Amino acid sequence: MKSRSRTLIIGLVLAAAAFPAHSQGFTPSKPIEFYTHTGPGGGGDVFARAISAAMDKEKLLPVRMQVINKTGGGGATAMAFLVNEKKGDTHTIAVYTGLWITNPLMRKEAKVTLKDMTPLVGLVREPAMIVVKSDAPYKTLKDFIDAAKQKPGQLKQSAGSIGARDWVLRQLLMTNTGANWAYISFPGGGERIAALLGGHVDMMLVEPQEAGEHIRAGNMRVIAQVTDTRLAAFPDIPTIKESGFDIPNVPQVRGVVGPPGIPPEVVAYYEDLFARFIKTPSWQKYLQDNLFEDGFMRSAELARFFDQHAVTTRAILKEGGVKVVR
Amino acid sequence: MEVIGYISQGFSVALTPVNLTWCFVGVFLGTVIGILPGLGPAATIAMLLPLTFRMEPTGAVIMLAGIYYGSKYGGSTTSILLNVPGESASVVTCFDGYQMAKRGRGGPALGIAAIASFVAGTVGVLGLMLVAPPLAKFALTFSSPEYFALMCLGLGMVVLLAGESMTKALLAMLVGLWLAGMGTDLFTATSRFTFGNAELLDGIDFVVVAIGVFALGEVLSNLEGREGTQMLPVPKGLRNLMPTWQDMKDCRFAFVNGSLVGFVIGVLPGAGSTIASFISYGIEKAVSKRPEKFGTGVPEGVAAPEGANNAETGGAMVPLLTLGIPGSGTTAILLAAFILWGLRPGPLMIQDNPTLFWGLVASMYIGNVMLLVLNLPLVPLFAQILRLPAYVLYPAIFGLSVVGVYSVSSSLFDVWMLAVFGLLGYGMRRLDYPAAPLILGFVLGDSMERALRQSLMMSQGDLSILVSRPISATMLFLTVLILIAPLFRKANAWRVRAIT
Repeated sequence: MKSRSRTLIIGLVLAAAAFPAHSQGFTPSKPIEFYTHTGPGGGGDVFARAISAAMDKEKLLPVRMQVINKTGGGGATAMAFLVNEKKGDTHTIAVYTGLWITNPLMRKEAKVTLKDMTPLVGLVREPAMIVVKSDAPYKTLKDFIDAAKQKPGQLKQSAGSIGARDWVLRQLLMTNTGANWAYISFPGGGERIAALLGGHVDMMLVEPQEAGEHIRAGNMRVIAQVTDTRLAAFPDIPTIKESGFDIPNVPQVRGVVGPPGIPPEVVAYYEDLFARFIKTPSWQKYLQDNLFEDGFMRSAELARFFDQHAVTTRAILKEGGVKVVR
Repeated sequence: MEVIGYISQGFSVALTPVNLTWCFVGVFLGTVIGILPGLGPAATIAMLLPLTFRMEPTGAVIMLAGIYYGSKYGGSTTSILLNVPGESASVVTCFDGYQMAKRGRGGPALGIAAIASFVAGTVGVLGLMLVAPPLAKFALTFSSPEYFALMCLGLGMVVLLAGESMTKALLAMLVGLWLAGMGTDLFTATSRFTFGNAELLDGIDFVVVAIGVFALGEVLSNLEGREGTQMLPVPKGLRNLMPTWQDMKDCRFAFVNGSLVGFVIGVLPGAGSTIASFISYGIEKAVSKRPEKFGTGVPEGVAAPEGANNAETGGAMVPLLTLGIPGSGTTAILLAAFILWGLRPGPLMIQDNPTLFWGLVASMYIGNVMLLVLNLPLVPLFAQILRLPAYVLYPAIFGLSVVGVYSVSSSLFDVWMLAVFGLLGYGMRRLDYPAAPLILGFVLGDSMERALRQSLMMSQGDLSILVSRPISATMLFLTVLILIAPLFRKANAWRVRAIT
């Protein structure tokens, strides 16, 4: 086995030398199936369709890229499908989100983790804005935290499910400051915003694009941004670190993985494909319209990111009192 | 009246040949996917989204909105003719629609559904045009306690849906509530009743339960006995295929009721068209002079839920366009589409893009007329389906059900679940358990539990939050009235008997 893999590596190096700029011998010969765990219109689905449309427009692929929805189990069904049914299939790729990391940690029904798959590329990091209603007394994140300390458990945050990014951020902030406020889950993003605008909750995380419009209308105030550095669209709003809270940034990540058992030359093909893809005007415009940050990572780096992210998330979940199963 | 200026400008946008074409394409596609069970407007819009990137946004939004409200028209077809509810909102249409079809009045039922859809769809657009901003503000006063009370009101409808035995209806409802509890608990991320199955982590899809219990249950029970080869009666002649004046007169109130209930509930981001159709059906039965006939095929039992279902579309557009808040899966995709077209959805969208908004409103008037013209001639055509002999019709329903369920999630597991629910539906029919309360419990259970727990989190466990807020208290009071009404009627009946 060892010698064979060495031969393979030598062969690959030779092949890479022979075709320096281009893919090492693999080109897709039939439509690529692009799986997402969300139903049509969900975050992952819209993301996958945007990629597929931009690939088509920029003519980077000799074949079509067909988006397929494999819903169920908060991603668990799609993950199990890729590992059990699509092993070694070079024409199958899938969108992963942060859920693919946290879900298997919390659910014993989810028998497959991202480690069972082939990491291909990381694509975006989605920043978020911490907002309050415009007539709320809190001008900064510190104001909010101080108020929460004075009335423990009485301030409310409208948010998604346990283990989601809003939840992780709240856990980190509460541990860091000793403050404590309620976390109210709403399944739909619309209901979360309605609860804030109706004055039924005090704070929430929203996507920067949405926040921008509500600020323009005078409905909301941003008190901090969940980013590493300030976004160009919000030059005056401090990041969490700049607000004086030393907690790690919690990125909402999206990118592409493949099923297990994909040969290295195919991994290299997809890496190159997406490396060229992210430079196209279509993709740049998509990032700009949504105010997403470019989070490009190649396969090896992505694998390290998955490991590290799983370790931090596990610790945060445990501290938040969630049962971790693996 | 600046509205008149705006709307005439809107019509000048919507009436350009290009936009008229997109409007037609949208409502036509909507009708088609509405008729097919399984594939809903949300999925269709998401799939067509990439194609709209190169279109001009006004034309694109006119087309996608056309798919959205157009699909509501078609949704009644399979419910009435085959007892196959294509999506959750058309379940209520099955109650009386399918009974009408069984008694040879499938044509009139389809006609009533189309007319109710037209009336309510138009009322919905009127509402969107005239009262959108103040109504959106009103919707924001609704939060979890109010939603909980609304769901209670909906669940209270069980006393109106019960057949002969209240006990059996309540048992069926409890099973529905239990089924709704399956899956992942939103608040603690623990699994409930998943039996170690990853497929059950998201709970059971509505389509699986509804098609199983209604369509497959019906097919199975029809396979019993020798009369299985008989065809359903369809009287000859065009006049018997269209609603009569008497039907229209019976539906007068249902048109108004469905339109208003549908629109108002549609505006609330956390409610949806299913509860709207249940509540309008309940109101219709409660005020009817012949409540005992409901469930045996009365036209107003079709008109009320169909109207509510269609007016809901106009209502759902209100928070989407005035606040940038999507209240349902379909409006969430429209929101994503706005971002992709660079339109910056949010509270200022109407102000920023008046041509687009008024063009859309005008196109919705036109689209509703197109749908009526498109659907009414189809009625006699579709009614012919019932002439098929049972040995063709039932296997066809069976196939349609399986394909419909598979198309939602492409999962064979769901097809097996469909078989389970088909058997359940059959068993319930054999033992005289009504299916409607089960569906009611299943549809409302999830949101009801969620709203209750959200309320209690808001009040730190204090139950008084449910009655200390005026809107929620009023709705809970109404629920209590509905629940005790049958007891009064019973007491009255006893007194009458005692006197005589």
